Amino acid sequence: MTEQNKVKRCAELVAKSKEVVRDTFSRFTPDEMTITWTGGKDSTTTLWIIRQVCLEDNIKLPKVMTIDEYDSFEEIHDFMNKWAKEWKLDLEWCRNDDVVKAAGGKLGGIVKVKDLNERNQAELKRIGFEADSFPFEAESYTGNHLMKTVMFNLYIERHNVKAVFQGLRRDEQTARTQDDYFEKKEAAHLIPEHVRIKPILHFSERDIWDNTMINKIPYCVLYEQGYRSLGAKTTSQIAAPGVPAWEQDLEHTVERAGRRQDKEQMMDRLRKLGYM
Amino acid sequence: MKNVILLTIDALRKDVLGCYGSQGGLTPFIDSLQDNCLKFTRAQASGPYTQASFPGLLTSSYYLEYGKPKGLSPNRTLISEPLKRAGIVTAAFHSNPYLCDYLGWNRGWDVFYDSMEEEVSEQIPYIKGDVINNKVASWLTSHRQGDNLPFFLWLHYMDIHEPYLPERKYIDLVDPSINITHDEMFRLFSEVLLKRGASNKGTVKLLKKLYDAHVREVDGYVKEFFAILEKLDLLPNSVIIITSDHGDEFGEHGGLSHDDKMYSELVDTPLLIYDPARDKGEVCQKLTSNIDIPPTIVRLFGLEPVANFQGCSLLPLEDYPEKGCFGEAIDQRSQRGGDIEKDTYFYRQQDLKVIYRANLDSWEMYNLKADPKELNNIIGTSPEAEELKIKLKPRVRRWLKDNLRGEQK
Repeated sequence: MTEQNKVKRCAELVAKSKEVVRDTFSRFTPDEMTITWTGGKDSTTTLWIIRQVCLEDNIKLPKVMTIDEYDSFEEIHDFMNKWAKEWKLDLEWCRNDDVVKAAGGKLGGIVKVKDLNERNQAELKRIGFEADSFPFEAESYTGNHLMKTVMFNLYIERHNVKAVFQGLRRDEQTARTQDDYFEKKEAAHLIPEHVRIKPILHFSERDIWDNTMINKIPYCVLYEQGYRSLGAKTTSQIAAPGVPAWEQDLEHTVERAGRRQDKEQMMDRLRKLGYM
Repeated sequence: MKNVILLTIDALRKDVLGCYGSQGGLTPFIDSLQDNCLKFTRAQASGPYTQASFPGLLTSSYYLEYGKPKGLSPNRTLISEPLKRAGIVTAAFHSNPYLCDYLGWNRGWDVFYDSMEEEVSEQIPYIKGDVINNKVASWLTSHRQGDNLPFFLWLHYMDIHEPYLPERKYIDLVDPSINITHDEMFRLFSEVLLKRGASNKGTVKLLKKLYDAHVREVDGYVKEFFAILEKLDLLPNSVIIITSDHGDEFGEHGGLSHDDKMYSELVDTPLLIYDPARDKGEVCQKLTSNIDIPPTIVRLFGLEPVANFQGCSLLPLEDYPEKGCFGEAIDQRSQRGGDIEKDTYFYRQQDLKVIYRANLDSWEMYNLKADPKELNNIIGTSPEAEELKIKLKPRVRRWLKDNLRGEQK
């Protein structure tokens, strides 16, 4: 694609995202919204687009939440703190300290279920976890649930959030309808009702980098070192050492190949498919 | 030399396809291929669920052959292994956790995508067919630009597998009068399907319609995949085998979904070999097993038969022998900690089938011609009962011995 075509394409992609964001602002007030931000390329792009709309339309930027899964990169923290200050974000860090404490503050530490608070115990029960203990790993099935899902649900409960912006992409060519960008989550046991909005659903990984470069959107330095997808520190791996993410063969290799595959991931999939 | 593609569709029942007699209009695209297809009408899965069936489909061996099944035994030969050794490029794209890297199914593939690193939702716990198609298209495009060696491609769609949560547009194609929300469908999954409670006929019928909507959806992905091959000019030079790993039950024998039962709704599969060089459709009524698929692929590439494969090549058809088919399974619930293993076996010969449940030491027998629904157990009255039992008995519980041997090592 020529540089000129790239610029044109990115402008179209961003215009579509802005339409989704404006649609959201017509349904909810900024106080009812939150933006989820991980410091990764997708959620940073989403945050940047929402901020552009707010600047253009003179709307208050909604609050921003991020989950500290404890097992995280310092580089991401530094990057987020820097831009939170620069962009004057109302940023809240959410960490499940109860789990961290029960693990003795150590990754891999054994968490005894009986040492957890009532809410965390109820959450484990909800997902059908039956053992008495588990090792504390942010991206295992139980760890992921307690550190991420539970903190997310608690946050929207605490702030009475109605609408949540997420930086989710779906790499596919199929045309999307407006409805695909809005996913209504009905209330369930321990889950408050809310709508999830995904303004960059139609971006590909390549689009994200093209747009990042064209619009000079900030990104975390780890991408320069060859990381392509950022998760927890101990499970993310450099995809190509020294090759910046945007220079890698994004089209013919797998984006999350840098993340470790484990047994719990497999078990989680099987459970969702109705086994176990 | 032609490329060979194995296209497998999870949980696709044979009887929902138009080309197998369904009037539901769920598979217009697959039906439209029939003039170029060799269609097998008595194809059998070697097991009634993914782990039990895929050893047949990709390693031409039976599920309980190498001790208690955990990961893929190193003693099995994956179809990718001999092909890769012969210089054929091998690629796999799927999203079934039972066939993942962690369990050893990645052997012998130049490209192996199992989607396990992707995040998936509770409602769609796998990568959808359109995304699988995109990944396959990218790979095929780069392959075309590269050395262009003959390739073996295996792709697998999960979309028919529960939870049944089809998009509105597919429900409308099946029954526009159904007006059910996503959350209601999800509740059907978690409260009815997961509990295997099939007592209410209306609910079972509704579940079947949602399943049918997914069948309609997947027919579209097959169409999209053929369009990709056509666009890349690969279609004229490819042979495509289309089949499923097993079916799905909707109360036919008192259950839902798929488990260790050995009845037709689970072990009868569609099996089509699409070859653009064929000028008219052909139908084969011989009894065939999915263990015959790996030898067929080897044959299509003109390679020597693989000693470790137990099936027979389906091609050329005139050389394919008349033979019986076996199937094996273990009750999945008892695999976790249960000390009494509930293993089940079937053996089919022509239109007769015997089923043996080891923990109950019970036999059943059905005449599929007279009793296609398998409701009338003739084990006590059929003069052929003994003959079929003798064929099946040597297979029963031999895995316990293998298991013991494994432990002694």
